[in-house]
Amino acid sequence: MMRTIEVLLVALILFSAFMITSYFATLPSPRNVSGRNLRELALSTLETLNVNDYLTGTVFRNGSDQSWVSLQDALAASLPPNVVYNLTVYDITTSSGSVTYRLVKSLSNSRNDLGVSSDASSYVVESSDVKFAITPQKIGENTGKNITLYILNCNDAQGWWITGYTAQSLASDLRNLLSPYFGTTILVNTTSQLGQLLNGTALLSERTQDAVIINTFGEAVPIPAGYYTTQGYDSNQGSYARYGHILGQRVNQYNWTWVSIVGYPFFYVTNTVTFPSAQNGWGLYGMQQVGSAGLNAFLRGLDLQSYSYNSQWITGSPGVVQFTWNASYYSNYYGIYPARYQTATRALPTSILSAYNLRVAPNSNIFQVVNNWIAGATFTHRGAGNSIRGSFTAIGLTRTPDIRITALGLLQHYRPAIYKSEMGASGTSRIVVLQLAELGGV
Amino acid sequence: MTGVTIDHMVSFSIIIVVFMVSMSSFAQIIGAAITYQQNHEVSMKAAELTNMLLLNPGDPTYWGRSNSIPLAFGLQDSDTGGYSLNALSLSRLSSTQSPVYYNKTGLWYSNNSYGGGALFVPSTNAVNYTTAAKLLGVEGSYAFQLTVTSTLKVSLSELNQNPLSMKVEISGVAGWMGGATLNYFLYYAIPRVGQFPLIQTLSGTAHTDATGSATLEFSTVDGSYYAYSVVVYACVGGLSGVGYRTHDTTTNNRIVPFIEDFENRVVLLAHSWDVQNFPPPVETLRFNATFLSLTPDFRLCEIQMIESDGFVRSGLVNYGVDYDNVRLQIPAQNAGILIVAYNSGDYSGIVAMPWGISTLGFSATFGGEPFQADWVAVEVRQVSINRISYQAKVAVWKTTREYTRYTP
Repeated sequence: MMRTIEVLLVALILFSAFMITSYFATLPSPRNVSGRNLRELALSTLETLNVNDYLTGTVFRNGSDQSWVSLQDALAASLPPNVVYNLTVYDITTSSGSVTYRLVKSLSNSRNDLGVSSDASSYVVESSDVKFAITPQKIGENTGKNITLYILNCNDAQGWWITGYTAQSLASDLRNLLSPYFGTTILVNTTSQLGQLLNGTALLSERTQDAVIINTFGEAVPIPAGYYTTQGYDSNQGSYARYGHILGQRVNQYNWTWVSIVGYPFFYVTNTVTFPSAQNGWGLYGMQQVGSAGLNAFLRGLDLQSYSYNSQWITGSPGVVQFTWNASYYSNYYGIYPARYQTATRALPTSILSAYNLRVAPNSNIFQVVNNWIAGATFTHRGAGNSIRGSFTAIGLTRTPDIRITALGLLQHYRPAIYKSEMGASGTSRIVVLQLAELGGV
Repeated sequence: MTGVTIDHMVSFSIIIVVFMVSMSSFAQIIGAAITYQQNHEVSMKAAELTNMLLLNPGDPTYWGRSNSIPLAFGLQDSDTGGYSLNALSLSRLSSTQSPVYYNKTGLWYSNNSYGGGALFVPSTNAVNYTTAAKLLGVEGSYAFQLTVTSTLKVSLSELNQNPLSMKVEISGVAGWMGGATLNYFLYYAIPRVGQFPLIQTLSGTAHTDATGSATLEFSTVDGSYYAYSVVVYACVGGLSGVGYRTHDTTTNNRIVPFIEDFENRVVLLAHSWDVQNFPPPVETLRFNATFLSLTPDFRLCEIQMIESDGFVRSGLVNYGVDYDNVRLQIPAQNAGILIVAYNSGDYSGIVAMPWGISTLGFSATFGGEPFQADWVAVEVRQVSINRISYQAKVAVWKTTREYTRYTP
């Protein structure tokens, strides 16, 4: 009898445990298993209603306008029958730094609140009256110097290491990117125009002093016929390295900024008319290989050192390089977004700084310096009285060039300001909140 | 001693019964919880798959305009972003309808046609469900079905044949839609004996009344004599939809357009006799084609085609050689409608083929059939395709064999 009583006690305990467990182990409602994704449904509904700018047009209209009725019809027509909605429009105003949301209009097909199981999405719309304008400061404007941008676009020259592009297409893209920041932008369309420029003669009536010259031909540099092919030729070495020296001297003389967009600068000279049957060693005609002597000669010319032939290879391959903090900052500031990580195989060594009296311009390092290799920066040459006499922007990345890096490097060097303005009436932004809930079920 | 034994037997029996009842009750709770978890997992997968399908353009992003199979699957229109789908990518999906065989090319074509319009895509170029499932990484574990349907239903019906008048009715989920603005376009074929037909166009704007209907009058058109195609674009409250209707006076001899090449936008024109069997006589069809590009304000703008007229014949030239296939090239990259009018004697016909499914309001159903599924999760989103409002539903269910509902 005693065992039976004990068992009954055990049964009592087990049933009690079951009752208590059943009480607490309540399963969620079936709706929670797979309720509609109301937030995404609301967002997609708002986006769809605004595809033809109808939502934008309506929310800025008077509350009694007929378009609100059509909007309500559209909501009813697009949402599933068991979904109720509440669409609320708020006006956003900013005063003394604080943002205020004022209720403008509310539409609903439910008499009550939609409850805790509802979900909502919001969508900001801008009035068609509002205009956002960006006015870039012209480079040199603040110092009274109207700096001219020259982009080499010579139709009688060939590019190298710009695989997949032509120099002309790169020139066009660079002009679109950079011309808003310069008072004058000129495409140098022939090598003879380049010769004219090297002689210090303006192509139009622009200012040539302090100009920026972008070489879009990659590792090749256009060479004008005549004086520059004769004087630029080192007959002892059978090389056009001396042309690099002349270019360096001109950069110093006119205080230019010479920009190399990719690879080893001045590695080839190109003129399809002068060198119709010469090829660069890789089968591309209209081009002569100078080799690493071209860059050495340019740097000597920039530093006004006498010409001497030096074919020592001076660039290095630090591999993958990363944006500096400045590059990331100015990438956001100017809205230019090349990849933060790039591969550098033609980076310049820091040893050129002392050898040629160069400085890395403040904030101009595009990539972090790796083992004394500078993959992208603007080098300024210091002349008498420590004044800047010529600059050299070298992007020592591997092919194919991303000209956004060139643009970023130049803007990072010159740092023109951007004036942003919003024109229009106050209350030009409104926020639309669509709250949805399901009816029925448990 | 006997009493103790009986006591033990009784107590043992009671404990066994109590244990079994308790385990049964707990098993029910645990079983329901397991089912809940399994269904919740399917539901989460449905949301994930919906995002992958609707908010990702695939790779390459322009795969809808090419003949190759994408490396990653997605249907978003990369030019517009957000919840907008690429009309050409949707055109390349294998339909759940029965395929059509065209013996001149020896190929099967996915039948993506809808209503009176035609859209036949070569099965070799169409992206089938198995491929899509593989690319989405759900093959063998989950199955899905994507349904894309127009949010607004634009119905057209003839009120009178001569002169032609048509009734247009606009409705949504909640009923009729009044106050809709309609842009309508009528293309009708004027048959000419011994020549290809002329395509005449009438267009205008109308509004639906409070009951969601409007009447379109074409006082110069005899609908009983001419083949015609009417396309109506309706806009109301931010939603837009398309309706169309075609009418032929031919019976057995028709032109069937087949897409041959998406990348180069080449369309084959086939004689219906080479696609289906009809009673004789078989006749040569003279055709005239035009391409209508859809503008952002829902107007159709004609774009000149390089070659737009010719003959479509069935049968053999001689010695067992088929007549050459007739090819047309769509003259523009953007979405539009290819209209092909044809005649044989006094009889004429007209066929409309959308270049991008939304221009004629086609629906699309892609994927598996969930009718044997144990439990199906459904996600609903609003999307736009070339500014036309659509609703996309993605149904997802589990397919693994080890998945069986727990039944205590």
